[in-house]
Amino acid sequence: MTNPMTILAATSAVQADAAATKETENKLIAVFKSDAPRKEKVDACRQLGVIGTKNAVPALAALLGDEKLSHMARYGLEPIPDASVDEALRVALGKLKGRPLVGVVGSLGVRRDPAAAALLAKMLENTEADVAPTAARSLGKIGTPEAAKVLSGALVKAPARLRVAVAEGCLDCAEQRLAEGKREEAVALWQAVAKAGLPKHFRMAAARGMLLAREKPHKR
Amino acid sequence: MSKLESPSGARSGGNPPSHATEAGGPASVTRRQFLRRASVAGGLVAIPSLIPGSALGLAEQAAPSERIVLGGIGIGNRGSGVLGWMMGEKDVQFVAVCDPQKSRREKVKKMVDSRYGNQDCAIYKNTPEFLATRPDIDAMLITTGDRWHALMSIMAMRAGKDVYSEKPSCMTIAEGQMVVKTADRFGRIYQTGNQRLSEEKFIFANELLRTGRLGEVHTVRAHIAPWDAAVMKHDWLPGQPLPSKDEADWDAWLGPCPWRPYNPSYCRGGWRGYYDFHTSCIGEWGAHTFAQCHVAIGATDTSPVEYGYVNNPTGDGMVTRFANGIKMVLSRGNKWWHGSCGVRYEGTEGWVAVADGYSRPEVSDPKLLEGFEKTVRDYTDRTDRATSHVRNLFDCIKSRRPTVANPEVMHRSMSTVHAANICMWLKRDLKYDPVKEEFVGDPEANRLRSRAQREPWIM
Repeated sequence: MTNPMTILAATSAVQADAAATKETENKLIAVFKSDAPRKEKVDACRQLGVIGTKNAVPALAALLGDEKLSHMARYGLEPIPDASVDEALRVALGKLKGRPLVGVVGSLGVRRDPAAAALLAKMLENTEADVAPTAARSLGKIGTPEAAKVLSGALVKAPARLRVAVAEGCLDCAEQRLAEGKREEAVALWQAVAKAGLPKHFRMAAARGMLLAREKPHKR
Repeated sequence: MSKLESPSGARSGGNPPSHATEAGGPASVTRRQFLRRASVAGGLVAIPSLIPGSALGLAEQAAPSERIVLGGIGIGNRGSGVLGWMMGEKDVQFVAVCDPQKSRREKVKKMVDSRYGNQDCAIYKNTPEFLATRPDIDAMLITTGDRWHALMSIMAMRAGKDVYSEKPSCMTIAEGQMVVKTADRFGRIYQTGNQRLSEEKFIFANELLRTGRLGEVHTVRAHIAPWDAAVMKHDWLPGQPLPSKDEADWDAWLGPCPWRPYNPSYCRGGWRGYYDFHTSCIGEWGAHTFAQCHVAIGATDTSPVEYGYVNNPTGDGMVTRFANGIKMVLSRGNKWWHGSCGVRYEGTEGWVAVADGYSRPEVSDPKLLEGFEKTVRDYTDRTDRATSHVRNLFDCIKSRRPTVANPEVMHRSMSTVHAANICMWLKRDLKYDPVKEEFVGDPEANRLRSRAQREPWIM
């Protein structure tokens, strides 16, 4: 298989030639349906991460449950700027277990998919390793009012092993609420973190946040 | 060794140094302002944990109130050198090491126990367990391979530790952003391993520029490594039988990077030149030299806005341009220096060049070297920074002031590395908006600002 960087450069060189790029994309997608070795499929995922469009989403999404290709499927999917990626990831949540599930939970946070908040809230109760903490951090990245409500509620109820991740999610969410001008919502999250009995550096982070909220002009 | 004593508290006066970059963007509270208020609000300022000297057999060392407890992650050859440097500081006690490779963690234990004359250095295989179960550790020395520097630093800071991370300290623009955000959020002290920012001859060169003795600076030149290329490899080395997890945890070694078959060569330094693990010949030295140039011209919170593609394998000769018009030119080989990791600053009234192995910088006029010692002394007096990179870290851990190679300096100079790499990979000129931190009108380039991380190691 050609070095992905060569594909990248060649694709860039013919950037204006949409037909050529589409042909390359189709060839890469076809690799997944073939009996090509794992390395070739890995390289195809990598290249689709740079040139892939919504046309590549179904083929990549079909790999999310494959333990050997799940990460690279996300490598290809995460950068594609189309809502079909978020939908595919949300659908996968209901089907996956183990590390592939952790990966999809993480990617929904990276993409900041607001529609995933309710689904990720349920993941906070998942007992498989790393699922719940990753879900907490992803909710923080999503940063919507719904995510804020889930996280602040979870901070009170979460078992000790999860509380730190939920607090991190609260801190992330709070900064986003503040950035959107929702100062009171942000302060509520920081106050929740400050009162949660967490290590000192979390109380510092909460105090910093509340100072930020005091200094930033309140948007109306 | 440092010329300065460890400060007993916050600096009492003087303006912040012009090169120091405080936390966050325009709307953020600076770290100094925050900490001043937080300490008034009720003792929230983190102080180092204390281990009595008697418990450590350290009757000759600094008192517990002055001692910093240090741990380490991923300490190999380079890391051992830094560790030796750190253990030479009387107010530092190294207590534990974590590494997925048994041979390395045992080697570090032997080194540390030999130094202290006991058997007390603890060893760990699992980083999350290490971070969660050692609240006594104040700071972490992180000298894993490049692929882990950012995420490990983030994990350590989330666990309340201050951090020294080797360079290149991030693999993508997104990783650098997260390091800055995490350090700001938790009020952590962080130093990246750009030790030349603390070396006298490099400091002097920067001061020549800063004080206007070169006239108006128009061009700075940054050395890039003479090995490897800008376009890196994706091939897999032949798979070898996996060792026992206790011997080498391959899954943990790979961390957030795409899986590939195990081959011991990767673990012995053979990871260089691979896209998944390395930042190319540009990042290998650019992590140092770009940071030098950024700091010298006062560009500690920005990156160049233009990157000119050059048709060669390495990026040699690439011209980048800052918004203020200053050019930074990448240069490989011996054209401008006779040592490694060189920088050169050119102004309307003179130039200065310095690299490793120089006893003094080279200058366009010998008169520029006059007052070398005074210039360096004035720098240390003005900035309150030691001319020892590790001493600077430990002073800042105690004072809570930003280090010389703080997260913003690291992130912005590494963003320049990443942008230059992306320019070479896409084989075209690029424009970058350092305020929005995105490439202008270039979706493909913007896709390369981050990479999906392998679970469970997602930032």
